[in-house]
Amino acid sequence: MTEKGGSEEQAKNDEEIIGYRQQPGKIPFSRPGSGGKNRFSEATDSELIPSSQGGSLKQPWGPHKHDEIVSGRVIGKPTALVDSSWKVTGQAHYGDDVRLPGELIGRIVRSPHHYAKILSVDCSKALELQGVVAVATGADAKNRFGVLPVTKDEHAMAVEKVRHAGDLVACVAAVDESTAREAERLIEVEYEILDSIHDMRKGLENSEEPIHDRGNYHIGESNIQKRVFQEFGDISGMAQSSIASHKKSWLFAGVNHGFTEPHAVVANWDPSGRLTLYTPQQVPHYLHRALADVLEIPMHQINVHRTFVGGGFGGKSDPFPHEMCAAILARKSGRPVRITFDREEVYWVNRGRHPSRIEMNLHADEQGRICGIETDALIDGGAFASFGHVTTYYNGVLHTAPYEIGAFHYTGARVWTNKPASGAMRGHGAVNSRCAVEVGLDDLAEDLHVDPITLRLANLLPPHSATITGFRVTSIGMRECLERVKIESGWEKKFRNLPLGKGIGIGCGFFISGSGLPIHWDPNKFPHATVHLKVDMDGGVTVHTGAADIGQGSDTVVAQSVAEVLGLPLDMIRVKSRDSDTSPVDLGSYSSRVTFMNANATISAAIQIRDKLLDATVEITGADRSGLVIGDRRIFLKDDPAVGVSYLEALHKAQEDRGALVSSGAYRTPPMGKTHKGAAAGLAPAYSFSAYVAEVTVDVETGQTKVDKVWAAHDCGKALNPLAVKGQIIGSCHMGMGQVLSEEMRYGRNGNLMNPDLLDYKIPSVHEMPEVVPIIVESNDPEGPFGAKEAGEGPLLPILPAVCNAVYDAVGVRTSELPMTPEKVFKMIEKRCRTEGVSDPTDLECPSLEYSDLQSILEKRGDEHRLRDKERRLDEERKDYYNGALFGLDPSVPPDEVDPRWEVRVAPDEEYLTSPRLAGSAWKHIERRHLEGTK
Amino acid sequence: MKMPPFRVLSPKSLDEALHMSRDLSDSGEAFDWIAGGTDLLPNYKWHINVKSHVISLSSIPELRKLSGNHIGAMVSINDLAEDAVTHPVLAKAANSVASVLIRKSGTVGGNICLDTRCYWVNQSETWRESIDWCYKCDCGTGADCRVIPNQNTLCVATYQADLAPVLMCLDATIHLASPAGTRSLPLCEFFELDGMTRNVLESGELVTHITIPEDSAEWSGDYQKLRQRDSWDFPEAGVAVLWKGISSSGPESLRVATTGLESIPSLHLEETKEALSRWRGAETIEDLAESIRKAVKPVQNTWFSPSYRRKMVKVLTKRACRDLLVS
Repeated sequence: MTEKGGSEEQAKNDEEIIGYRQQPGKIPFSRPGSGGKNRFSEATDSELIPSSQGGSLKQPWGPHKHDEIVSGRVIGKPTALVDSSWKVTGQAHYGDDVRLPGELIGRIVRSPHHYAKILSVDCSKALELQGVVAVATGADAKNRFGVLPVTKDEHAMAVEKVRHAGDLVACVAAVDESTAREAERLIEVEYEILDSIHDMRKGLENSEEPIHDRGNYHIGESNIQKRVFQEFGDISGMAQSSIASHKKSWLFAGVNHGFTEPHAVVANWDPSGRLTLYTPQQVPHYLHRALADVLEIPMHQINVHRTFVGGGFGGKSDPFPHEMCAAILARKSGRPVRITFDREEVYWVNRGRHPSRIEMNLHADEQGRICGIETDALIDGGAFASFGHVTTYYNGVLHTAPYEIGAFHYTGARVWTNKPASGAMRGHGAVNSRCAVEVGLDDLAEDLHVDPITLRLANLLPPHSATITGFRVTSIGMRECLERVKIESGWEKKFRNLPLGKGIGIGCGFFISGSGLPIHWDPNKFPHATVHLKVDMDGGVTVHTGAADIGQGSDTVVAQSVAEVLGLPLDMIRVKSRDSDTSPVDLGSYSSRVTFMNANATISAAIQIRDKLLDATVEITGADRSGLVIGDRRIFLKDDPAVGVSYLEALHKAQEDRGALVSSGAYRTPPMGKTHKGAAAGLAPAYSFSAYVAEVTVDVETGQTKVDKVWAAHDCGKALNPLAVKGQIIGSCHMGMGQVLSEEMRYGRNGNLMNPDLLDYKIPSVHEMPEVVPIIVESNDPEGPFGAKEAGEGPLLPILPAVCNAVYDAVGVRTSELPMTPEKVFKMIEKRCRTEGVSDPTDLECPSLEYSDLQSILEKRGDEHRLRDKERRLDEERKDYYNGALFGLDPSVPPDEVDPRWEVRVAPDEEYLTSPRLAGSAWKHIERRHLEGTK
Repeated sequence: MKMPPFRVLSPKSLDEALHMSRDLSDSGEAFDWIAGGTDLLPNYKWHINVKSHVISLSSIPELRKLSGNHIGAMVSINDLAEDAVTHPVLAKAANSVASVLIRKSGTVGGNICLDTRCYWVNQSETWRESIDWCYKCDCGTGADCRVIPNQNTLCVATYQADLAPVLMCLDATIHLASPAGTRSLPLCEFFELDGMTRNVLESGELVTHITIPEDSAEWSGDYQKLRQRDSWDFPEAGVAVLWKGISSSGPESLRVATTGLESIPSLHLEETKEALSRWRGAETIEDLAESIRKAVKPVQNTWFSPSYRRKMVKVLTKRACRDLLVS
């Protein structure tokens, strides 16, 4: 075929397949054909095959183990999500779109009280109402559940007590919504009101009626759900060597995920006694387990069907009581039951970011090293534990990098209060304390008279090192992120040089790329992710995975991985990820684990299919196997492309005598980290890094802050789909801007949530959204799939401190409260005016910067470290590097082995308890089991 | 979220609408007029003061007339904002209402008659039950006001509409119709305390149109609005300032009106009279702004605190007066 003919045919081919509903029979496959919408393979030009296939590729960040299977098809190319046509044409079915014949509508009766004992629930009037089919109360499901096995403290509906206004008391199923709502009002509940707790500080104190009772493990008689004490490094040396310190007490308001789709669920029991639960879930597997516990049936009797998810951000990553309610009502009524939330119900179930009080102290020594970080974080868990056990650790450990630090002291506590439960939200546990650290560093730089970016560049951990808490960090693109945003934002010219009201600020981020320990770790060697592939004679590849696509594009990344390894177009890959019946277990979409773990599992499954295809090719052609490469639906000799077979020919050969090819790939994290209590929290097979510069305008007379532009650099290892990565970066900016400027779950003086709706809960509108310049940094992670790391959560972290620091640059005020609404900024400006005796805020002076001698010392160290880092990432024989080397310790030995002062401590001593910090005072209580021992 | 059921009546003329209203009143049925529905329906969804009937005004052509001096009640806020004949300050205020989608449904009459808003009342029924209801929507419980407790005589919900202050400064006249006949009154006399009464409309009466004096083109000025976001949000404070006949001794006439601060919008006659009596340029504007700040008494029932809103009223007044100095 001539080239011309080819392009005409191609055009015709494209024309025929236009239209969002593909008509069967109209897709032009030539027979036997090569598969795919385009019936022609691309030319077998060896130029198009990456030189790494059958050879190795020299890269700036060193080679990668997946280089040799890269076919150059889809990885690294901007790719529309594979489910986008469903969504943009309105054909995606979300939770509330599921319609089963004979369905009933379920409604939930909720507590009007913050904290009360339930004396009685009388459903008789509701049951008498025409059209009501079933009611259920806490008595129908007494087993506890919770996302973490160590803190199961939830019930389907309240048993004995309600713990916050909006807590579930009973539920009812009726033939339609109006009847269900009427029935809801007919259920009579008698309460005995208890004293409720709303201030998280109160949660630290003993209470007559703690919100939960953990038996022997209860901490005193308090409402403390979890407490953490950690000391790493040379705490005693910190104060001595410090020449500049920063200290700030922060108050962060709770924020909600604000996803578009409210929770919705449909439950149906089929004639064989099996339950199918349709729900927009991020963690179908944990729900699967919880359902089995609560309903008291074996897991194999349940099929969890994940619908399209209309936004999750962590807000759909708990097993939820309303999911249990739907299943219970469906079991009682013998009919499918659908429950859809109103928006205020979304706020009542919440699981948003914890309201927090964080005290952040930072110390720098005369060489501009960060010789100490002391953090105290009290977090308000609301009424239930949710992910809080982990959040309490994350508020500490996730800000121990990317910097090399001399000492780290952390006290954290999470308390129960009578509010909707806090939980995991994008940037889980890392966002607030990261904001505090980065603002602190800005303040330290000001104190030291150095540039804040220079200060950061001179204190970075090198690639392939260990943090002070013992996290193994592999690839690090932090330095490149900082350097890129510095150049692209025009930092040198702007910083401390803009007129009053205009400012620029920097912030960095560090986040886990997949939690190293699964939440349920039994059996011990159970993989984190498993993927099954099936390839039959039609050539299409069916992928079975339990990874939950919540809009982040996990189906796409799985399809891309298969397409890349097998040299196939994306339309030949079909991902089946919805039903737990057919999907192998995947732990779910949380902790930014999916791309890293699921794509790794996919690649390992696809390699097995690839091997079989290569074997078949050798059998047909007799070619040398080591010379074979895979191009677009063709397998051929790299040096002599004429020798080869089409993909289908190879596939059909491989299927002889055994039919469809199947394979199973799995991923499990390598053993890592230290062994102290809590060492596993924050461990991840890889970490992402980011640096943002934000430019803002502050109206000094009103305090209104407008973010004008953001330069956002994120190290995601390798952008498998740059389009999706940029989307994540821009979306993260929007979400983080909401938290820093306007979003807040505001509680009124009687403890009620005042703004459980999207008019009064101020998510930034399109008018508030700045131009975002996404900058992708690719550090080629050695263990990531094709070098990739996460890009879903880490990009949120830096925007908060970047905006805070920019506001300081603009008007010289530093907030210690988020969101910094115009009102709060104005208050700070007023205060500054008073202190400086200025009557008109437009007469205020901007902060200025004159370098001290330290600046050149830091610049020199930064330059040296740039070389050090480059050497380390390319040197395959590299030695270990432990945090502490910057402070003169042997870099290749864990510091606590060379210096006893660096030993890890996980419990406070008597002396500390004489004057503990706020969250640290949680350690004043004695656990009941120890109390009884002393009696 | 489901609205309780109600019957919709769709009259084709004003006469028919008034007949329907009389028939409903005679048979003892409660009803609401519905224009664009952007205020009423969200409240219905929250089960706030729901009626068994609504009379839709959308098919009555005579309410849609728009000219330089005549604004029909059913003119959409968006049409008002974009029409070339609209006074520029009124167009600016109209353009700042909510979002473009809401402006396309929302009407001038609806905006003038906007229900007052309060954190403690604009909530779902379950939520209001959890605070034991409130004075404005007590559901027969005799509940107290939650903003200023221990007083059962005054609703302090806030009037948060943008058009009224500008129209008041333009000295607009509002025209009403009821089965008993028609009447007209200056817009500033239309509003009446408290947050529940809101205005002088009698049962069965509706706004037909607004007229603006012939000299409106001679008036210039500005409308300034305080809110968290540049879209969707109701005004937390709004200040309209209009003047005419500027000379070295100051403007010949000056009017200032505010919204978003109390249960009704206010035209600040005394403060402007004082300012005009001894005009000293920037200094007077500063004093005027301060006197407006002192004149308003917001309460804690919206997004921003009362003290911030008052301080901002001063800033907004000064900003709205900016062109007064330049010219």
